[in-house]
Amino acid sequence: MNLTRRELLAKAGNGFGLLGLASLLSQENLLADEARDPLAPRPPHFKARAKAVIWIFVNGGPSHVDTWDYKPELEKRDGQELPGFNKFTGFFANEVGGLMKSPFKFSPQGQCGKMVSEIFPNLGKHVDRMAFIHSGWTESNNHSPALFMMNSGETRMGHPCVGSWVTYGLGSESRNLPSFVVMSDPLGRGLPKGSAQNWGAGFLPSVYQGTYLKPAGAPIDNMAPPAELAGDRQRRQLDLLRDLNGQSIESSPAEKELAARIESFELAYRMQAAAPEALDLASEPDHIQKLYGLDNKKCTHFAKQCLIARRMVERGVRFVQIYSGGMENQLSWDGHKDIEGNHRGFADETDQPVAALLTDLQQRGLLDQTLVIWGGEFGRLPIAQKGGKPGRDHNPHAFTTWMAGGGVKGGVSYGATDEVGFKAVENRVSVHDLHATILNLVGLDNQKLTFKHNSLEQRLTTITVDAKVIKEILA
Amino acid sequence: MKKLTLLLLLLPVGAAPQEPPAPDREGVEFFEKKIRPVLVDRCYSCHSAEAKKLKGELYVDSREGLLKGGETGPSIVPGDPEKSLLIKAIRYADDLKMPPKGKLSKEVVEDFVAWVKRGAPDPRGKGASTAKKGINIETGRSYWAFQPLHPPAGATVDGLLRAKLAAAGIAPNGPADRRKLIRRATFDLIGLPPTPAEVDAFLADLAPDAYEKLIDRLLARPEYGERWARHWLDVARFAESHGFEQDYDRENAYYYRDFLIQAFNRDLPYDQFVQWQIAGDELAPAEPLAWMATGFLGAGVFPTQLTEAEFESARYDELDSMTSTTGSAFLGLSIGCARCHDHKFDPFPSRDYYRLASTFTTAIRAMAELRMDPEGDRAALATWEAEHAPLVADLAKFEKDELPARFDHWAAGRPWEKQASRVWTVLDLVETKSHAGAAFVPQPDGSVLATGENPKNDKWTFRARTTLKGLTAVRLEALKDASLKKGGPGRADNGNFSLSDFRLTVRPVAGGAPVPVKLSAGAVTFEQNKTDLSAASSVDADKGGGWAVDPQFGRDHAAVFTFAAPIGFPEGTELTFDFEYNNNVHHAIGRPRLSVTSTPPPAALDGEAKAQALVELCELLREGTALDAAARERAIAVYGRIDEERVRRRRAVDAHLAAKPAPKVTKVLVCTEGLKPLKHHADERGFPHFYKETYVLSRGDVNKKQDVATQGFIQVLERGADEKRWVAPPPAGSRTPGRRAALARWLTDVDAGAGPLLARVIVNRLWAQHFGRGLVATPNDFGVQGDPPTHPELLDFLAAELIRGGWQLKPIHKRMMASAAYRQSTEVVPESAKKDPDNRLLWRRDPHRLEAEAIRDSLLEVGGLLDRKMYGPGTLDEGMTRRSIYFFIKRSKLIPMMMVFDAPEPLVSQGGRPTTTIAPQALLFMNSPLVRRCAAGLAKEADLNQLYRRALGRPPTERELQKAGEFLSAQEKSYRDTGKPDPALAARVDFCQALLCLNEFVYVD
Repeated sequence: MNLTRRELLAKAGNGFGLLGLASLLSQENLLADEARDPLAPRPPHFKARAKAVIWIFVNGGPSHVDTWDYKPELEKRDGQELPGFNKFTGFFANEVGGLMKSPFKFSPQGQCGKMVSEIFPNLGKHVDRMAFIHSGWTESNNHSPALFMMNSGETRMGHPCVGSWVTYGLGSESRNLPSFVVMSDPLGRGLPKGSAQNWGAGFLPSVYQGTYLKPAGAPIDNMAPPAELAGDRQRRQLDLLRDLNGQSIESSPAEKELAARIESFELAYRMQAAAPEALDLASEPDHIQKLYGLDNKKCTHFAKQCLIARRMVERGVRFVQIYSGGMENQLSWDGHKDIEGNHRGFADETDQPVAALLTDLQQRGLLDQTLVIWGGEFGRLPIAQKGGKPGRDHNPHAFTTWMAGGGVKGGVSYGATDEVGFKAVENRVSVHDLHATILNLVGLDNQKLTFKHNSLEQRLTTITVDAKVIKEILA
Repeated sequence: MKKLTLLLLLLPVGAAPQEPPAPDREGVEFFEKKIRPVLVDRCYSCHSAEAKKLKGELYVDSREGLLKGGETGPSIVPGDPEKSLLIKAIRYADDLKMPPKGKLSKEVVEDFVAWVKRGAPDPRGKGASTAKKGINIETGRSYWAFQPLHPPAGATVDGLLRAKLAAAGIAPNGPADRRKLIRRATFDLIGLPPTPAEVDAFLADLAPDAYEKLIDRLLARPEYGERWARHWLDVARFAESHGFEQDYDRENAYYYRDFLIQAFNRDLPYDQFVQWQIAGDELAPAEPLAWMATGFLGAGVFPTQLTEAEFESARYDELDSMTSTTGSAFLGLSIGCARCHDHKFDPFPSRDYYRLASTFTTAIRAMAELRMDPEGDRAALATWEAEHAPLVADLAKFEKDELPARFDHWAAGRPWEKQASRVWTVLDLVETKSHAGAAFVPQPDGSVLATGENPKNDKWTFRARTTLKGLTAVRLEALKDASLKKGGPGRADNGNFSLSDFRLTVRPVAGGAPVPVKLSAGAVTFEQNKTDLSAASSVDADKGGGWAVDPQFGRDHAAVFTFAAPIGFPEGTELTFDFEYNNNVHHAIGRPRLSVTSTPPPAALDGEAKAQALVELCELLREGTALDAAARERAIAVYGRIDEERVRRRRAVDAHLAAKPAPKVTKVLVCTEGLKPLKHHADERGFPHFYKETYVLSRGDVNKKQDVATQGFIQVLERGADEKRWVAPPPAGSRTPGRRAALARWLTDVDAGAGPLLARVIVNRLWAQHFGRGLVATPNDFGVQGDPPTHPELLDFLAAELIRGGWQLKPIHKRMMASAAYRQSTEVVPESAKKDPDNRLLWRRDPHRLEAEAIRDSLLEVGGLLDRKMYGPGTLDEGMTRRSIYFFIKRSKLIPMMMVFDAPEPLVSQGGRPTTTIAPQALLFMNSPLVRRCAAGLAKEADLNQLYRRALGRPPTERELQKAGEFLSAQEKSYRDTGKPDPALAARVDFCQALLCLNEFVYVD
């Protein structure tokens, strides 16, 4: 049974396991050799600039022209037709309006003087830490394919997401926690479209699947012992189990898999304590809780998630994704109607917590090794989507993403859209380029990080595309 | 680059191409594994027919190209690496450094050196680069998997295995003990543990064929089908929802799963099993199982949220799901790779992919209405007919022998003298017909109840005959009924009806042209308004509008329609009423009754209603004239309608007639052609479901269409046959084009089609399940990128045996399981382990962990909770206690326990499952309600000995008993201390849970 790790994984099917907690096994050396343990920590391809990633997924498609991509030209041409516009660009072909200026005021922020929308008073203070990528474009004008694209590099189902690839490439660093954690909207506004597919391991083994913290009830299944087994009862039961199991192991010492299974019970027992501890925000001092905005009704929920993200990263979790907003339309940043109310509302929910996250990571010396990403699945059109209160429809041709922290230059802007923000025109950045850049920052070469599936060496950045790392934003 | 070019020019122009050496198989294998992939990946982009721009005039995509070389001369000198330019270039030794983007690894360079030293064996032969694309189908045919079967003569499973072991100097293990053997065989075949009684019986059976009989018993168990169907569901990427963001359920998709269970249990020959999944509806249209089998094709994902721009590519994705899964599941080939370009490693041109994909051009998911049990339907009808005949005979006999006398007796009592005057005579209807398929059940009060289908719109024709004369009006009643929604009187969801048109024509009973009667609305109990929903609107010239009664539901209603002149022909009158319902949908009357009157108009709405027969008879007899023979016969017939004895008999006949069994029709999700496509969300934007033609696409891009693809197959699997051999035109008037039937024939054609590979792939799947690893370790990839077989002769032998035995799988199971190799112990013999640490040669039995379903099913079984009900709709309820194959498979709500134990996501065909060991599995065993429930079930047994036998199939050892005792007393004390009732039981539950957590419970030795 001396399979190499690669062979072991090659045998593995297409997984979409629900719990990536598997990471736990790795730190215990229970799987004696690396070959047997899919989650043993592994060296990067080259020196990593970031050890961890926190991705604020701005779900629904945030409008770049109303947030970070300031377009004074829109004020001049407000109401005018956008010449040559194809009405099938967005989702609603019959609600096409004229160009629409941003309802928000922009002002220069930081040393770099970045023009920032008024809806981000707190984040605006951090622009000198951020690298803006204004020239993103994607392949679908439809939420779920675009979400799949942003998470897995393919518009179709079944491909591993970035967090799974990173875990596959680097293994798990954490002792008692999963290496890839996902949080979604806790206010009952639904899951991002395509739901768990967005953090699925696709054709990678299911151990690389993101661990989804359920927003209601117990965050992780089977984490709490049954009431009857309180006190030392479960411990006694596990001691018995070890004892009885040991007898069969003695008779076949070569069976490492069996030994690993015995250890997995001990590990599980410890996890029961570790996971709740990581999620316990009561232990955070007041001023930290306030910094994130736990006391601010508008953003309590997101503040908690950002704080959990920091605690996770501190404890060795490698990849955290937090979805801002629920499903679509007014439930997320999908501002088809009333772009002003929609974006102001979601900005209020996230501005203070995300800014606090940057501050807090910085003051703990973690920001240098933690990559923070802010971005969604596509941008929004510079023209109005007609209605009582005008909104903006989907725009696959342009969107803005920013990155901050681990290995990223601050106060820089890369690429540009045209003068109204309709299409990325300068230094265009594909989703594959974004992925290649993220992988690069955690020390992985997108060309080398491969997994054989369907007879092909699959990559996050796909086989057919040459993705480029955006070197210009690397510190 | 400049420098390089210069250098290239300076190098000598070299030797003439040599003939390739006779291909040595191992050499070719080495080339395929080590050399070709590197050439393809690292060199083809500049040095092949595929290259956008050929560099240095060098082709490395053929042997010829390498020998001929480019601008700088021959690239290789077979046998002499040091003289081979290619080797120099990849060593980066000189100025010529290839590939330019980065040096190949040391290992790879060494592979190339070894390969050239060996004579550079290269199956690609000549001309690959001259034949525009880099694929040589003729050479491809020499690859082992594409060859005909070569079964060694006189072989046995053990003989072939032992030959290799002997060559390696390894002695196989001896047999496992019988307790382990029955556990192993039982889990393998039915996915559940043997019961203590089964173990005892097997241990007690000392006959030499006891084990063989055990296998036979297990193969005959219905749980065998459930176990093996679950394996196939992985291969078929089966789920019961569309997937993607909306993930709508696919109703009645589970019939495919039920097909599999039945197919395995009845040992449907595998070639037929394959054919039906591709084209069961075409090949065996009378066989419901064959239709159910087509669920295979349509089981893939489909994004129901589509924008117009995505329609066509979504359809090509769907065709790909059918094509790729067909390739992987049946042939172990990743032909899906050829969607975007010629296959990089296997000899499948992209064109072959599209030719194959065009098989499914018009195939769609549809809800078929199947007669699941035609035999049963026929039998039920025969039984009914046998019961019906005596009832009819009894009635006829009564009418002939007894009715005349009973009439005379009745008439002697001068009953007409007791008849009060009548107002309304209820018409006896001789015909009630719905043109859109509703049914009418006569009621004792002369009304009829509309039942069955409630069509959107309908037209009724009711006929009645009467001898009454001077009729002045008809009363139409719409009566309430408990069986109607809101009590009626209409059939609409709110209890309403709307009669848009009501017409009457009359003619003499003896014959004659029907004459329309002008009707005028008279009294009415209630009408919804005075205009378009009034009674008058039912008899006006306007087709729209019509009497309705909202909101007076749950009550009887009536309307009178008067005639312009009295009606009644001397010989009797036939009245034909037409009802039309098109003012609204599903708005028919629920229980109508028609009565006539001869009181002068305006007729009152109410008044005592009398049965028509009695009224007519009294009229007839009151006239007092002597009856002639014909009149007497008529009178007796009319009397028969009120004679209780006769009516009872008549009712018995009618009731039985109403119970005439109709063929049972079941809705089943199938994949077929020519039926209405299964509706889904994308229909709202006009998704066409399919396009009339499939095109060859460049790079899989729907915007880069080449020519129309006509059906064909994978050429490398064909031997000297014209593809017409399989393609037959469909019979005249066929709903489907017969393309899938052609593919089915090609797949199973042993002589000239894919049959040999089909057989290899399935016997390998069986082997993989029984032995933990296939003879080909990659069951879904028999191509060059997959693993070569460890025992090619054995694979061919088993495949040939399968075909020889009429493709039946059960004998192959038995052959594998009867082998000494299957029965050997798991003991790790250090000497053997040293020589073959991976056990590739099968000197021991590898223990393996049960799959997710078997773990859960076994927990339930041991806990005494397993519900063995077979078939039917699945559920998402994690608390259900049926076998796990009966979970509803919803792509966005996969059952967590299944996923934790490595069940695959149903997106693409899966050849095998990994076995991971992760903490969440332990957490599930420690903390999940399911395991606690099963432990509690098991703990009902108080005897430790029995507990062990139930959970693990063996009695406990002394030491185990001692440990158990210690645990139980400590745990019991702990419960007693907290005042728990029955602390001994509570402790035993915890003990049982520990037993279920044991490695021994989930690992089968």
